[in-house]
Amino acid sequence: MAPFVVYDIISENTNLLLAFFIGIGFGFILEQAGFSSSRKLAGVFYGYDAVVLKVFFTAAIVGMLGLLFFSLFGWVDMSVIYVNETYLYSAIVGGVIMGAGFIMGGYCPGTSFCAATIGKIDAIVFIGGMFLGVFIFGEGYPLWKNLYMAEYMGFPKISEFFGINEGIFVLLAIVAAVLMFWGAEWAEKKFPREEY
Amino acid sequence: MKKFQFTPRQMLSAVILSLGIIIAAVPKDTTTPYKLSAEQILEEMKSGTQYLHPDLIAQMLVEGDPTLQLIDVRPPAEYEKYHLPGAINIPFDDLLSSDYQDLLNQGVMMNVLYANGTTRANEAWMLIRQLGYQNNYVLTGGLNYWVETILNPQPPAATSPDDEFARYDFRKAASGALGGGAVAPVEQQSTAPAVIPRPRPQQKKQAVQGGCS
Amino acid sequence: MNPYLAGVLLGLVVLSANMISGRGLGASGAVKSAIVTTVDAVAPAHTESSEYYVMAKGTHGNPLNNWLVYQVLGVLVGAFLSGVLARRLTWKVEHSPKITSKTRLVFALAGGVLFGFGSQLGRGCTSGAALSGMAVFSLGGFITMAAIFGTAFALAYFFRKLWI
Repeated sequence: MAPFVVYDIISENTNLLLAFFIGIGFGFILEQAGFSSSRKLAGVFYGYDAVVLKVFFTAAIVGMLGLLFFSLFGWVDMSVIYVNETYLYSAIVGGVIMGAGFIMGGYCPGTSFCAATIGKIDAIVFIGGMFLGVFIFGEGYPLWKNLYMAEYMGFPKISEFFGINEGIFVLLAIVAAVLMFWGAEWAEKKFPREEY
Repeated sequence: MKKFQFTPRQMLSAVILSLGIIIAAVPKDTTTPYKLSAEQILEEMKSGTQYLHPDLIAQMLVEGDPTLQLIDVRPPAEYEKYHLPGAINIPFDDLLSSDYQDLLNQGVMMNVLYANGTTRANEAWMLIRQLGYQNNYVLTGGLNYWVETILNPQPPAATSPDDEFARYDFRKAASGALGGGAVAPVEQQSTAPAVIPRPRPQQKKQAVQGGCS
Repeated sequence: MNPYLAGVLLGLVVLSANMISGRGLGASGAVKSAIVTTVDAVAPAHTESSEYYVMAKGTHGNPLNNWLVYQVLGVLVGAFLSGVLARRLTWKVEHSPKITSKTRLVFALAGGVLFGFGSQLGRGCTSGAALSGMAVFSLGGFITMAAIFGTAFALAYFFRKLWI
């Protein structure tokens, strides 16, 4: 029964070793998908390249579907899988700040690591900025502590929030994603860019 | 004639849409409503490890063992009339109410269920055990046996072995401490009561501390 | 690689992280671990007095015992391997022909600062909060995802010179 580390199938140290291999898979795929190019990443916001949208939503849907099917087969205990906690205001404000950082910097943290390893100097500078940003957050913590802690909602699932079961939520997400992919490919034809 | 070819997008869409329809059609939690099978429950019941003797409970109460949580499964009216010290009331009828699940399904305390006799508490234990909840136990004999052994202990026959007397002394002492009625305070205890082996709470499977923040 | 195939594979990576370790992927958490460790090494008295560092030390204090640190090291190796295979290893500053390298680097730095800050406030970045959060149906994951992409779309017009 998964998760393996919770059910003592693997030890804590093995878990850390496997984290390294999971990371290799993560980095390899991000780089292969072309996420090491900031102009490719930014393309999604101008319609000329929707690779971010395609990869991101496909991955999220495969993750959701996989967990539900594995839970159905009795392979995974969903109740002990970490569901990210929700602090409503900080999730929104943090997301807005990250969105601004995304359009200015052209990377997100994971992709900047990928880009830096293949020699993108802008990505290295972005990572430097990221360290600075985290440091600023830590140093000024008392200033935004209230916002950081406000409106704690626990560990809600979006399906519970809408009061539907998870399977139906996935189906709705899939329909939305299929429509988005269709729209994105239309946009790629409409706003083409040859070289970037 | 031109051969029709699927684009990657159409292929992916077709696959995830069909999988999505399948998973949406599966009723929630149909496969694993119970964590333990009937055989596993039977096995546990045969071994009787869920029963805890009043002596152990009395000892834990006297010591003020912080992991002990007594749970009275009788109706509220009976609970109001009398209950063991520190016991909380979870009426049998409301056993599966979501208000109580955090109390019953946890990995810190040792829950000891009791009713007047053994049966009701044992039924409650069976139900929640099937859901996979750990650390729940049943007070042997219920309140009736509690009164008999702890609150009104009978002196053993003069020919009994020493540990019988030790147990009697302990019960008398506990009875005094736990509000037993007519028993006179004990004199010097002859021997220390034997330490009864007690189960320890088993840690519940905790969700992993994840996140990226 | 076809983006949909990459998406499916990435989804399988997220899934295996959940199956093996019961948690999702991340990136910014490793940065936090590095910062906390560095600050603690340079000025231990300072970390003791700051509520944030005391809190963060509990979870991110020891980078040798931090799942995300190992995972990010893996990302570096994996991306490098992929770059080698695809022959993409070159030092360069990628930018639109309409701006200079310097402008690009200034904005990259600013973006990095904002992303670093936002990832702490939002408790995770695009990988940790949005992608992994969505995969486990976290409400917060969906909210963060919508906020990130919504804002980036809304601001895209103002920064168009950087990219097109």
